[in-house]
Amino acid sequence: MNLKRVLSIAQKEVYHIVRDPFTLAMALGLPLILVTIFGLAIEFNMKEIGISVYDGDKSVASRSLLRAFSSSDYFHLNHTDRLPEAISILDHEQSKAALLIEPGFEKNLGSEKTAQAQILIDGADNSTVGVILGYLSGVQNQFGRNVGQTLSGSTAPFRTRYLFNPELNSRWFTVPGLIVIVVAILSILLTALTIAREWENGSMELLLSTPVRPIEIVIGKLLPYSLLGVGSVVFVYGLARVAFGVPFVGSHWFYGLSVLLFISAYLAQGLLISVVTRNQQLSMQLALISGLLPSVLLSGFVFPIENMPRFFHYLTSIFPAKWFMIISRSLFLKGSEPHELIKPFVALVVLNVVLMGVATKLFKKDVEP
Amino acid sequence: MSGVEGGPNYSVEVEGLRVQFGDFIAVKDISFNVNAGEIFGFLGANGAGKTTTIRVLCGLLEPNLGDVRVMGLNPKQGLDAIKSRVGYMSQRFTLYDDLTVDENLSFAASLRKLTREKFSRRKKDLLEFIGFERPLNTLVKNLPGGLKQQVSLCAATLHDPDIVFLDEPTAGVTPTYRARFWSLIRSMAASGKTVFVTTHYMDEAEQCDRIALMRDGSLIALDSPGGLKRSTFPEPIYEISSSREKLDEFWFESIKKRPEILKIQPHGLRYHAQLSKGVVEGQLRELVSSGCVVRVIPPSLEDVFIRLVEGGLP
Ligand SMILES: Nc1ncnc2c1ncn2[C@@H]1O[C@H](COP(=O)(O)OP(=O)(O)OP(=O)(O)O)[C@@H](O)[C@H]1O
Ligand SMILES: [Mg+2]
Repeated sequence: MNLKRVLSIAQKEVYHIVRDPFTLAMALGLPLILVTIFGLAIEFNMKEIGISVYDGDKSVASRSLLRAFSSSDYFHLNHTDRLPEAISILDHEQSKAALLIEPGFEKNLGSEKTAQAQILIDGADNSTVGVILGYLSGVQNQFGRNVGQTLSGSTAPFRTRYLFNPELNSRWFTVPGLIVIVVAILSILLTALTIAREWENGSMELLLSTPVRPIEIVIGKLLPYSLLGVGSVVFVYGLARVAFGVPFVGSHWFYGLSVLLFISAYLAQGLLISVVTRNQQLSMQLALISGLLPSVLLSGFVFPIENMPRFFHYLTSIFPAKWFMIISRSLFLKGSEPHELIKPFVALVVLNVVLMGVATKLFKKDVEP
Repeated sequence: MSGVEGGPNYSVEVEGLRVQFGDFIAVKDISFNVNAGEIFGFLGANGAGKTTTIRVLCGLLEPNLGDVRVMGLNPKQGLDAIKSRVGYMSQRFTLYDDLTVDENLSFAASLRKLTREKFSRRKKDLLEFIGFERPLNTLVKNLPGGLKQQVSLCAATLHDPDIVFLDEPTAGVTPTYRARFWSLIRSMAASGKTVFVTTHYMDEAEQCDRIALMRDGSLIALDSPGGLKRSTFPEPIYEISSSREKLDEFWFESIKKRPEILKIQPHGLRYHAQLSKGVVEGQLRELVSSGCVVRVIPPSLEDVFIRLVEGGLP
């Protein structure tokens, strides 16, 4: 392999990128737009969520729970005196959720029995359910600290993941996940397009009529996009930390390593797509279906994987996005030690080996006479 | 039999070459040699197998059968040696439109691992050779098609190859630029390079030293333009024209039926005729009215190809 040749192929690719408005817009504009939309829009919509409250216990503990709610800016409590009223308000959509504290709440809290406080959520508003759940679990956590112990899981299907966002900030949860989307677009979509373009217009053949090695073409063409990917991750990371104040409590080097693995897996997928299609339009469609859609829908970014049917637990495992999402969120919010993230990390490595292996093998077979 | 040292000097040797795409045989066991330093025209209708043959010779496609040598080198013993001595201008793609002339050239140079000195010397020479006068930072998409092909020729010959394969280099180019391109081809051949060129233009075919004609994957003729004309039309062709009376449809139908006429075809306002065996020119003159002018003309290459392609193997 000849480094100078690789670099000149990379340089040519940079010319293509900076002279094509579409690619340039994708590369520079998209991360900014996505972060702004997800970061700001969710914030505005999710303030002052109406919750109707029925406190059947009226004890110190129940008031402490309500305080945990009202002390945050995110909830607006509508007190009701009767149980049916609390539910009917929910029916009329004045509240997004109802908090029902049963009589004997405090008593059960002290004992070994399960303390009862139910939360009903307006399931019709699909988009807010996950966010409310996230907030609620934060409240639960705070309440646990207030009364010196945590509530048991019976109050709502609270997910431990959400517990690590104690300030009830949805952006904290969204922005780390955004990195997955941005990398999906930059790596899968753009590489699939660029290599397919060389096939489509016949220039691949001209490249191959020179002594250039197939592997030099691959590395040279992928290099700018991997840098673009890393750049966008740094950008989103910086924005998340500085503009939105998202904490990062994990290990940076472990995160960096995972980012590289994730990017290279997606580059390999892009290469694979372009080898199979040799056509830009098909590549674009395949990249959207096999790359972007799973990254958004099946990575846990929008829909928690735990809530999906069993089948999807397995299906999502073949997408690098799921594993990287776990690592990303854990490191940002939870501060997990690397050894706790062995499983997603190994999964990323395995997917990398498989994707890289298949893609380069197919590519080599494709270009060799 | 190779042209490395001594013996006949061939740039390309092809022996029983067959290329198959699935069940479809695109090139059917063809054999030919290309002399060093000649302009070798490779002709044939669309889909005849020209590009496929060139791709094999450039090491881009592996033949199903047969032996190929380029500059005495066998592709099976490594493609790099061949690739470094071959220049290729492909039919489908020439230069990156969104790169400047300079960027395209230096990209081609770096793929070939030219040193900086060699590149700048070759670039200067070649741009002088094609008479390029625009700024080097012109984007290729802003060049006229004919000029783009010339720059592409530079890119294909930066590494000073011994042989260049030009696949329809003048397709879609204005006549002025075509003539200019062919003068470049002639100077390259004069400087000792072998030029292997495909074209659909007859006037260009006339300028080749030798022409190979492909039909449906088979090589049906190979000779110099003059030789092809002589062998395809051993008997003279007569041109019949008249300035006084109109040689109309009716006249044509009646003379066509005469036993002395073997074949007659309209060419514009004139007719090209061949006589049956044993019939001499005087008999033709008697046959047509006195107002007609009869003269012997050389067959055009077009006549040759029509006859060869229609008539099968000569
Ligand atoms: N990769 C391929 N797969 C299948 N068929 C092919 C392939 N490449 C060429 N062919 C077929 O082989 C035949 C010869 O094609 P080729 O490109 O060599 O023709 P050509 O003489 O260069 O024609 P043209 O004048 O149109 O360039 C055509 O029928 C073409 O469809
Ligand atoms: Mg062709």
